[in-house]
Amino acid sequence: MNNSFFNNKRGGEKYLSVYWFLVLVLVAGGVIGMVTVYYGSPYDIREIEGTVLINKIADCVSYEGRIDKSFISNGIFYPANEQDFLKACHLNLSSTEWTEQQYYFQVDFYKLSDLTKSVLNISSGNKNYISFCALQKQGITRTLPTCVEKSFYSLDDLGNEYIIKILTAVRKSEKNVKI
Amino acid sequence: MKKRGKRGLFIKAKKGDEILLENVIFLILNLAFFSFVIWFLLRQGSGAIILEQSYAKNIVLLIDSAKPTTEITLNMEDAFDLAEENGIDRKDIVKITGNLVSVKLSKNGGYAYSFFNEADVTAYPDVYSEKNYIIKINSYLK
Repeated sequence: MNNSFFNNKRGGEKYLSVYWFLVLVLVAGGVIGMVTVYYGSPYDIREIEGTVLINKIADCVSYEGRIDKSFISNGIFYPANEQDFLKACHLNLSSTEWTEQQYYFQVDFYKLSDLTKSVLNISSGNKNYISFCALQKQGITRTLPTCVEKSFYSLDDLGNEYIIKILTAVRKSEKNVKI
Repeated sequence: MKKRGKRGLFIKAKKGDEILLENVIFLILNLAFFSFVIWFLLRQGSGAIILEQSYAKNIVLLIDSAKPTTEITLNMEDAFDLAEENGIDRKDIVKITGNLVSVKLSKNGGYAYSFFNEADVTAYPDVYSEKNYIIKINSYLK
């Protein structure tokens, strides 16, 4: 054991310096690697975008707890045309940045007495994204569109109670996830 | 008298001097190493690519959440500093074309992101506070 690593006083010190430096290189390499990975991936704002879109649609559909009369009036449902709805809610889902639409939304009105059947449905955008929402619930996501769903309570002009469910899906994967 | 020191790098150094020199070199190397790591970390978070993306996405979210006649004042001091270093004029940093927000902080760079709020939006650097940018949502289109 005379020539062992730590028993050799002078040689051991030299080896220890090299060993220390190697440890520092490894630690710094790890830090640099983690920082590069962190800053190398884009900020994913699709969930926030989806939530903001839901808020905007909710403001358009119902104001101060009352459903807009252009959708339900005197118990009669008025199915809105897709383009008319986008115009009324001041939404522009297309962009020169993308060749195909990167958004999808679906608004469903349910009577509080029967939450299984939607009495009025409005949707717009790329319908292909609906199938990905189920996958998101299973945890298979990242490169797929991000789905957000929220629901709220509202009344029509006659005081009938409704639950309005809004589902949004935002793709824009190339700009939000490292592919 | 027996000499205790042996030949060093430049002069005949004693054993104590040699240990001191080794430690000083080791210390300098460590300092240089950690300085590089700290410089690298600081540079990563304030690079043009990161800031362009961060500001573009921030502005898009602000526009999407805003209603007409809203005036947003955004502090962009770090972006102004970087743009100045790269020779980009303040008024060219944020451009809004249709529903596309572009942020440019370097000659060859630039990042664009679209918003869904169908509104007429203008962006210009603040005159009174030189570190802010004003984003104004004028009215809905149509």
